[in-house]
Amino acid sequence: MVFPTLQFIGFFAVVLALNLIVWNRNGWRKALLIAASYVFYAAWDVRFLALMAFVSATAYLAGIGVTKPGLRKLSKVLAIVAMLGVLGVFKYYDFFMLNLQRLLEGTAFARDLQWLTLILPVGISFYTFQAISYVMDVDRGHIPARKNPADVFLYISLFPQLVAGPIVRAAHFLPQIDAPTRPDTTARAAAVVLILSGLFKKMVVANYLSVLLVDPVFGLPDGQYWLSALAATLGYAIQIYCDFSGYSDIAIGVALLLGYQFHINFDQPYRADSLRDFWQRWHISLSTWIRDYLYIPLGGNRGTPLHSHFTLILTMTLAGLWHGAGWNFILWGFFHGAFLAIERVFRRLRIRLPKLLAIAAVFVIVGLLWIPFRAASFPETLQMFAAFTKSEGYAAPEIIPFVWVLLALGFAMNWLPLALRDRAEMLIARLAPELQAAILAIGVWIMFATAQDGVAPFIYFQF
Amino acid sequence: MTRFTAACFVALVAAWLLSGERFLDAVFEMVDLGPVDDTIIAGVVVAEDWKASLGLPDLFSAMRTAIHQGLGLL
Repeated sequence: MVFPTLQFIGFFAVVLALNLIVWNRNGWRKALLIAASYVFYAAWDVRFLALMAFVSATAYLAGIGVTKPGLRKLSKVLAIVAMLGVLGVFKYYDFFMLNLQRLLEGTAFARDLQWLTLILPVGISFYTFQAISYVMDVDRGHIPARKNPADVFLYISLFPQLVAGPIVRAAHFLPQIDAPTRPDTTARAAAVVLILSGLFKKMVVANYLSVLLVDPVFGLPDGQYWLSALAATLGYAIQIYCDFSGYSDIAIGVALLLGYQFHINFDQPYRADSLRDFWQRWHISLSTWIRDYLYIPLGGNRGTPLHSHFTLILTMTLAGLWHGAGWNFILWGFFHGAFLAIERVFRRLRIRLPKLLAIAAVFVIVGLLWIPFRAASFPETLQMFAAFTKSEGYAAPEIIPFVWVLLALGFAMNWLPLALRDRAEMLIARLAPELQAAILAIGVWIMFATAQDGVAPFIYFQF
Repeated sequence: MTRFTAACFVALVAAWLLSGERFLDAVFEMVDLGPVDDTIIAGVVVAEDWKASLGLPDLFSAMRTAIHQGLGLL
């Protein structure tokens, strides 16, 4: 089920009402939200419910296991192997087999290897990471192990964040299960603003940019020239920001109405004046996850500068692989790691650019690195880069005036002062609940009327 | 929160009444809930028939056409 659909609106309205009815019965609330989350997930593919339940049960049992002195290490290792195993089989198995087969071609070991050709379960990367963070946090003593399995099942499956994040931390979320906050007028106002801004970013800016500009150019990279390549690269930078931050905004807003608070996942990322700053603003829940559970355990900033540079590049390469089983994503992660390492050297040498120039430089680097992220294959990545050197090609009919408006709107969503959003929230918070609901309903109605036909899935669903 | 939720429901019904959107289509896309499905579908069919009998204008489509024309997309 996707947020910007009539199906989700009907589903959420029912869950919102039932949640209110059972508000004072915490056990019922948990059961309701777990059931709703499983229905939400089953709307995509009912077969993979068992997989999510398996990951949740593993996390629950491992959480108890790591608190027992004799079982601590075994529980942790088994849980992480099981969860990464699930991820490995469903997401990476065929990729590794394909590359192994290519590697063996022409050698004495060449043979046809077996493929699994499995469907990638939606959101698998997100919920396995949440499950791992639960086990690790219990193991580190940050949170107590939950005795009630419903707590862990709800933490892993809660539908607003289930398929594309934010990756909610157990230490932040589990205490809210015990004492959810009844949404007051401020929370409702924040939810209205978040849901409407998220829908606008996704249904208007991201979807139209995708159809009118990005897909036609990236679909035929060979025949493009510098202007269309530039416009499509710029368009994709805006599209992916609006698509993913739009999803996060809606998820946070929907959770707020159910009584749960998630941390923000995007903080105006294209305002970043360094790549380090960019990663503190972009997909914040993933950045902090890989910092805490990958970069620091691998050595982090400890040891020699060379070692920490290596760790940084390795971590970012693995983060690239997390996004997708393909060399394009590995390349994307590797170059982000390499640029982060170079930036560290510059910082150590006290070489700094003026702020505006630094923001522009970061945007150019991030934008160009989106090319391998978006292109369908490595050869197409090279074709897109080659298009920047061509002065002739398709006449770029996709760059109609509306596209420029969309690009400007996308930039505005990134650059508008946060105070403006706070002001809108304050104004809505002063209104009666009926008016708040009317603003939400009219806003959603207008977004649906403005959007194109059909349902475009969110980019991060594939991860 | 009760007033907010109730108002959301009223708005949802109003939006459905004044649009050509059919909940029946959305229900058919939902996961099969077994015997409950038949009851839900039967209820939605009655509601859709009632909506059709009212003969209300499809304001949603009119608004959609106006917006798309304004944006130069039609």
